[in-house]
Amino acid sequence: MSPKKLIALTKAGIEESLQFRLGAFVTLFANIIYLVLVYFLWKAIYASSGTDVVNGMTFEDTMIYLILATALFNFLEMYVVWDMSRNIQSGKIILDLLKPMEYKAYTFWSYSGNHVVLFFLTFIPTFIIVMFVTHGAIPMGINLVYFIVSVILALVVNFHIEMLVATLCLYTESTWGINIVKETIVLLLSGASIPLAFFPEAARKVVGMMPFRAVYDVPLNVLLGKGGADTLSGAASLWGFQAVWAVILIAASTLFWNVSVRKITVNGG
Amino acid sequence: MSKLEKNKNSRGLGFYLSIYRKILIQDLKTKMSYRADFVISTFGMILTNLSGFVTFLILFRNFPTINGWDYYHMLFLYGFSLIALTPVQCFFDNNWNLRFMVRSGDFIKYCFRPINVFFYFMSEVFDVKGLGQLAFGLGTLIYAWYHIGVAVTVGSIALLVLYIFTASLFMIAIMNFAAATAFWMEGSGNVMVIMFRFKDFAKYPASIFNSVFRFLFTFIIPIAFIAYYPSLAILAPDEEPLMTGIAPLFGLLVFYLSYHFWMRGVKRYDFTGS
Repeated sequence: MSPKKLIALTKAGIEESLQFRLGAFVTLFANIIYLVLVYFLWKAIYASSGTDVVNGMTFEDTMIYLILATALFNFLEMYVVWDMSRNIQSGKIILDLLKPMEYKAYTFWSYSGNHVVLFFLTFIPTFIIVMFVTHGAIPMGINLVYFIVSVILALVVNFHIEMLVATLCLYTESTWGINIVKETIVLLLSGASIPLAFFPEAARKVVGMMPFRAVYDVPLNVLLGKGGADTLSGAASLWGFQAVWAVILIAASTLFWNVSVRKITVNGG
Repeated sequence: MSKLEKNKNSRGLGFYLSIYRKILIQDLKTKMSYRADFVISTFGMILTNLSGFVTFLILFRNFPTINGWDYYHMLFLYGFSLIALTPVQCFFDNNWNLRFMVRSGDFIKYCFRPINVFFYFMSEVFDVKGLGQLAFGLGTLIYAWYHIGVAVTVGSIALLVLYIFTASLFMIAIMNFAAATAFWMEGSGNVMVIMFRFKDFAKYPASIFNSVFRFLFTFIIPIAFIAYYPSLAILAPDEEPLMTGIAPLFGLLVFYLSYHFWMRGVKRYDFTGS
């Protein structure tokens, strides 16, 4: 597949997402109110605790972590599960399967445009606001480059988790159920709803080895220079963690997809 | 039509209850034919509640109190909010389909029946998953109640029932407003998702907000009424704020307004003649 064709898919995705600018702005606005809620909650929590540092996290650390996790969540969010189940029910999936391109790659590159738009419309504005509000609590330097690498790896991991779960839709029509299970597990174990640093020691060790951490927790640590990510070798080991999971998930989702796609049943179309 | 219109208004509660029962049975029959879906969805619902609970435990492991609220009082709020959010989940879940039906034009079928459009539309879906949440909420509330040691009397139970009913009206109203925006604009799905997300904060005491946001979450997006104000009627009956006292009336008012907003949307839909 030539890069030119892939870029064409990305461009189509960008144009499609720009059709829904209003949606993006509503999301941005709502996020701000949502973050205000998060702010007051954690402010009250830290005010009641009596100490400034809990489990190595100050109030500012926690806030930056949670705000950027939300921003990252909005930017990485995919609806592969929904789209695929809708396409199966309508029969449209047949058309996608007949395309002269592997289905998974087609889906990935179709989504890439959406990610590009959301990165600029939601992540960058949030990042800039955090940067100004915290007066430089986020280090500005080579870590930004490390962060980009980590985000791309996170994107790949996230996409293949989605793909694995979406393939289940070939077996059952319970899209809502499957999706809510996936979302709950990813949000809790990736550190998006409560920083992993607050988890009990034993739980943190287990959760630390799971792939969900590669989606939110690792990129944020790389960005904030935590967990040894302030050096190149430290960052590289975190990338390694992400890459290993990316490879495992790519293999697993490809295998699962190839086995399952033969079972596809489409009513009409 | 005018005769029908008159008939429609003179029909009593009994008539609507019997219709609701009939539609409910049809809906449950449909659901039963997708048994796997039912099992997976229920599992998903329980998992969400469990995850919320785990988050809660982790939080309290690190921080013993939040703004003067200890573990059991917070659990009380949490359980209360889960119960208060059950009616919107069980009885008003069809709001989520409104935008698709308005867009595709299928909504017109609801306008041609000689019964209340809002009633007919909502009665079509009963969400069984909500019952899992109810059970989880009840368990949490009873556990917290026992540990706090509030006396169990006929009075306190009656108060609890009244205030849970009150609290549920607020979330129903919020979702009615959010869903009805579909009659005016595209992208109402986003509005619904956002409003639905705010409910996650209903389980924390509203006293953590500064005055501006406390006002916002009391009068504009009234999530403080989903658990905080109503719970105070039971947890702190001697020093309950004014908002707790007026909550039942305010709840009815907000629900009534949301119903009117929704019906106004229906009128507008008729007008477009699609």
